[in-house]
Amino acid sequence: MIEIFLVFVVFGLLGLVLIFMNRFLGPSRSNPNKEKPFECGSPYLQKDINPFPIKFYLVAFLFLLFDIEVAFFFPWALVFKEMKVTALVVMAAYLSVLVIGFVYAWKKGAFEWE
Amino acid sequence: MIPVSYFFGLSLLLFALGIIAFFIKRDLITMFMAVEVMLNAANLAFISLAKASGSLSGQVIVFFIITVAAAEAAIGLAIILLVFRQKKTIKVEEFRLMKG
Amino acid sequence: MNNLAALSPLLCVVLGALLVLLLEVLFNKENKSYLGYVSLAFLAGGAALCVRSWNKLYSFFNGTLILDNLALFFFLLFSLAGAFIILLSLKYISDQEANHGELYSLLLLALSGMMIMVSSPDLLVIFLGLEVLSVSCYALAGLKRKDEKSAEAALKYFLLGSFASAFLVLGLALLYGAAHSMVISGIIEYFQAGTASKTMGLIGLGLVIVGFAFKIALVPFHMWTPDVYEGAPTPMTAFFSVAPKSAGFAVLLRIFLDFWGASAETEFVFWALWVLSVLTMVVGNLIALRQTNVKRILAYSSIAHAGYMLVAVLAGDQSSLVFYLTAYLFMNVGAFAALIGMSKKGKEYNELEDFAGIGFKYPWIGGTFAVFLISLAGFPPTAGFLAKFYVFSAAVRVGLVPLVVIGVLASLISVFYYLRIVVAMYMREPSPDREVTIDQENPALFLVLFLCLYGVLQLGIFPGNILTIIRMAVSFL
Repeated sequence: MIEIFLVFVVFGLLGLVLIFMNRFLGPSRSNPNKEKPFECGSPYLQKDINPFPIKFYLVAFLFLLFDIEVAFFFPWALVFKEMKVTALVVMAAYLSVLVIGFVYAWKKGAFEWE
Repeated sequence: MIPVSYFFGLSLLLFALGIIAFFIKRDLITMFMAVEVMLNAANLAFISLAKASGSLSGQVIVFFIITVAAAEAAIGLAIILLVFRQKKTIKVEEFRLMKG
Repeated sequence: MNNLAALSPLLCVVLGALLVLLLEVLFNKENKSYLGYVSLAFLAGGAALCVRSWNKLYSFFNGTLILDNLALFFFLLFSLAGAFIILLSLKYISDQEANHGELYSLLLLALSGMMIMVSSPDLLVIFLGLEVLSVSCYALAGLKRKDEKSAEAALKYFLLGSFASAFLVLGLALLYGAAHSMVISGIIEYFQAGTASKTMGLIGLGLVIVGFAFKIALVPFHMWTPDVYEGAPTPMTAFFSVAPKSAGFAVLLRIFLDFWGASAETEFVFWALWVLSVLTMVVGNLIALRQTNVKRILAYSSIAHAGYMLVAVLAGDQSSLVFYLTAYLFMNVGAFAALIGMSKKGKEYNELEDFAGIGFKYPWIGGTFAVFLISLAGFPPTAGFLAKFYVFSAAVRVGLVPLVVIGVLASLISVFYYLRIVVAMYMREPSPDREVTIDQENPALFLVLFLCLYGVLQLGIFPGNILTIIRMAVSFL
């Protein structure tokens, strides 16, 4: 057990040393051209990375929510055979709540791209 | 086989890292990520303790906590988006309208 | 008794929330205040179902949802709070340009979360209820989407609230690991039994207490409260100051009911809560003295009141705590209702200077506000006096004299800032450059003011009936 731990410690430290060795040993000669984002010589067209349009975030939230809710299907599928009709009723209730959420998001225009 | 206590230790370590990150980071998304790390660390603690006690219920609980974390993530991102639209920044120092 | 009827009040409220959400998007009418009446109808239905379940002790989901009388009493209290908040929002929301349907739907969902919290003996289910409540509250705080303060309030509430939730989850994990159970009675058994080390369980319980202390705003976990209360739309502030607090205390009541005096470990928890209680009473009242914004004064006052309620938890006296929560509901919602009355289209008057001379200019709002403030300060013949009296005398009976002395001194301090508002309303001339005109066309607001006034006086002068009901509720435990 202790060996595994030691391996982690040794390689972790080694990683740290390697990262910082560069900074200590390497010469640091800077000039304005070197500080540019792209060192290819030609002037760049835009200054920063543009932020994503907000629309992507909206889709991401909705995906996050509906995606996680599906996690409950797995335990449901496992016990479905024993619970029979009860399982169906429970899942129907669960799904109908999700569908109402979906209808709300849809009607509010969350899925419209423009 | 790695003993269960290692996982428990890891979860506590992650939780502590989350707390530290929450306090030293000054932008909202990172603070929010710190909270998510804390929640997931607690999940790991649940799983390792459930494994240690040999019962399944701890793992079932984690399912629920994951869902809660997702709901919190959605509302949190929505709120961060709202303040970003208003102020065009997510630096926490900018949110000082109320004091006293 | 395992029965689907156990679910009925809860289902009624949740169905109401879903229906309102659908109505909001499916019918694009200009005037959406009808959604408020729909939600009121569902709340009333839920309350009626509660009354039907009284004394029946229904349970469901293998006992993870138990409708004992205490839970039902809290259901009714929450429904009443919810109804008050809806009535207060009807006009406010269209004046201040917030969304209608979302408000009512989120409010009903928050109420359902609180109902889950108070009716479950299982800490996991309590946590889920708490999260349903919290997530709805974060959204409710940010309901005025164009207002920067409102968004900031939502942000702070969310960040600190979810931070607290993480502590709560870790605490639950440790408790689960130590006690191998998430049911309250199982955890108490674990603390009472055996001689094995209970460090892990204690740390877990400590973290759970920290999580709850955040949610019910005990000092030193109160930092978010004043900012959130100030920034959130005022009816939502009224809701935050009353409802989550009641639900949190209901849970603490259940956890600590049989807890005290069991072993050396419980002694430790007792003193930790003792310190929290003292800090909350003293710090809450002292900081309130410095405030000039009435909304913030009420925020600090609600922090201080949580300290008094904690005294009841420490004394182990359920009926005085429940009575305090009931009285607090009426007086605090009433005070916020008066504050909401101090507004007109697109403008709110919250600063202390705005209240100069209001008592004579708008006698109804000024007069009722004065009564609620006097009740919050704890003068007879109002509900606030009797509530404090019951709590403190229960604490004296179990020998917590130092705590009671501190509590009484703290509430003496509080008299000063409550009366400062009353003095401003009745004894100060309005300054000519701050013209305050308010819109009085708001019958729902006056209904709430009247009902709260009635509640405060009824509980303060003839508390007999309600005390009988409360005793029935807690004796059932």
